[in-house]
Amino acid sequence: MPGKPRLFSLTFKVNLILIAALAVGIGAIMVAFAVSLVAFRNQLTIQSLMRQGDDHFVAIETLMISGNAPEAVGYFTKVNLTNAATTITLYRRDGTRAFSDNTTIERVNQNLKMQRFLVKDRPPAPGATVPTPRFAEAAGLPPQELFFRDDEGFALGGGKAYFRAYRPLINLPKCTVCHGADHTVRGVIDIRSDVTSVVKAQAVSIGGAGVGFFVMVAILAFVIGSFLRRVVLRPVQSIGKVCIQVTSGNFDGRVKVGSNDEIGVLARTVNTMVGGLHERFELTKYVSAGTIGAITAGQEPKRVLRTLLFTDVRGFTSYTERHRPEQVVNVLNRILEKQSEIIQSCGGDIDKFVGDEILAVFSGDKAPSRACTAALRMVRLCAESVEEFEHLAVGVGIATGSVIHGMVGSARRADFTVIGDSVNLASRLCGIAKGMQIIVCSAIHEAVAAEFEFKGPFTVKLKGKIEQQKVWLLSGSVQGRSS
Amino acid sequence: MIEKHTPRSFWIGILLLPALSGMLTGCTAAKAAVYAAPDYHSWKRTTNVILDYPIPGHQNRFRIPRMNDIGFTAKPTIENGKQRWDFPAGTVIVKEVYETPKPVAGETPIQLTIMVKAPKDPHAQGGWLWITRDLPNGKESVFMGNFCITCHANANEKHPYGDGNPNEEFRDYVYFVPGEGSPNSSDRP
Repeated sequence: MPGKPRLFSLTFKVNLILIAALAVGIGAIMVAFAVSLVAFRNQLTIQSLMRQGDDHFVAIETLMISGNAPEAVGYFTKVNLTNAATTITLYRRDGTRAFSDNTTIERVNQNLKMQRFLVKDRPPAPGATVPTPRFAEAAGLPPQELFFRDDEGFALGGGKAYFRAYRPLINLPKCTVCHGADHTVRGVIDIRSDVTSVVKAQAVSIGGAGVGFFVMVAILAFVIGSFLRRVVLRPVQSIGKVCIQVTSGNFDGRVKVGSNDEIGVLARTVNTMVGGLHERFELTKYVSAGTIGAITAGQEPKRVLRTLLFTDVRGFTSYTERHRPEQVVNVLNRILEKQSEIIQSCGGDIDKFVGDEILAVFSGDKAPSRACTAALRMVRLCAESVEEFEHLAVGVGIATGSVIHGMVGSARRADFTVIGDSVNLASRLCGIAKGMQIIVCSAIHEAVAAEFEFKGPFTVKLKGKIEQQKVWLLSGSVQGRSS
Repeated sequence: MIEKHTPRSFWIGILLLPALSGMLTGCTAAKAAVYAAPDYHSWKRTTNVILDYPIPGHQNRFRIPRMNDIGFTAKPTIENGKQRWDFPAGTVIVKEVYETPKPVAGETPIQLTIMVKAPKDPHAQGGWLWITRDLPNGKESVFMGNFCITCHANANEKHPYGDGNPNEEFRDYVYFVPGEGSPNSSDRP
């Protein structure tokens, strides 16, 4: 039985899982790759700048002994002019630029107590930078070597991105003769490298990879989703559709088998199953509801109270002799069809057709009353359908009592039917009933005397019965007469 | 058929193994080494020079360097006509640093700076570990920067302390090496 429609279809869920798995899986790899790439680039840049710092430090340390500061100034100038992307500036420990004035010369002369160096008119070194707040860390105690990012309004659209290294210039004991021993750090070498183009290229590279990632996820999701939809989802949906049709009684649908894989095998199996169900469903037309119920409830024989209704078409034997077989079958089927409809509408179960006879079983609440009602409607039908039934009419016998309900027959072919004296009695009553007559037993009369009109009692001798039987002729219903 | 089941405790043990090893590693890492032995006060001074003059790194704070017996077993060798000092592994030099140039009697130092000769230690620079002890809590920290060695490298060149190393001997980063030159050298740069 189809359940309540789900909010999210299987297709939606599969696509969602696919996209999520791809996005998370490939995305995680992409992010990890991008992060490692950026870290690797940064590490390379840092190592390069640190190496530059070491080189410059050694050069400056070498140049700045014994009064060679002018060579150091020239060195700084050349480096800054040679490499536009890198700026080297030497700061004194107080943050002022070295070589920008004569403070150091005057201090050295003072320490040496002589005019060892002449005061000069020095232009500022090119490309000088401004110390950042982190300068204090580099010039503090203990002095720190720093490497950090120092951007000037950098964004992808503009500004500059810098990596910056602070290398403290230690006041070594050998330097203290000129520079004094009252301080530990003489100054800080500031190496600033413009990495704007590198960072922009990196951002573009990561952005491109991100776009590529989303495109790849979309393509993969489409391809894999299409594949799954074609190979799995559509066949499964088709199977589900056929199953729903079968549930509603339509056995015409079949799953289109397009492959030999597991889904194809499942589709074939479902088709075979539907075919089998169709056959069995058709077979139920030839089997009573009681039989079907017994298959479900169990096939053990049991004694039950039932009302049995027999009908038989009067004059049918002679009719068959006078008419063609097709005509005989045609009129017989019309009569049986109409009787069947009446029996079923009154809650009866057709146990079997025997030629032009019907054995119907009524059970449950007011079974005798419903059987009588059915019989009256049959007789009325025959009266109203004289031409259609070609003047054929039915005789009806009704009896009620205890019967045995069980499987009767052989292992190869059996009927799940009722047997017992009441069945025989109903058959005999039908046998003596003329066309348009309904004969019932005493038990029926006692049960429904208040609801129906009867004529009788009549005493009849029935085949198989030693004693004469008291029977009644059902002529109408009390309700029908009053209305 | 009887199946052989692996005990559940085995799998729990396997799962807990990384955590257990992590705990053990953490415990090992948390155990701090102590380089300056508690009896370092009894060690001999490396020089009789009164170290109360200002120097970079220690300003004008009074300093007393002491060395363990292993250090005093060091003997200079001759290399290219010059003396060369190589202190043996296990040498420990503890330099007490006082707050002022002239500490009063009974005053405790504010800091210990320690040199430990451990050439095989991955953190060694110039064959030495350079350590500071934070006296309030006694915690010793290996100095990872090159500030200490940069300054002490000058001990291997001409410098303004002690005898000034006029021949630029390799003195293993130690300004005052054992011997006659150390106690008798000048006490001022």
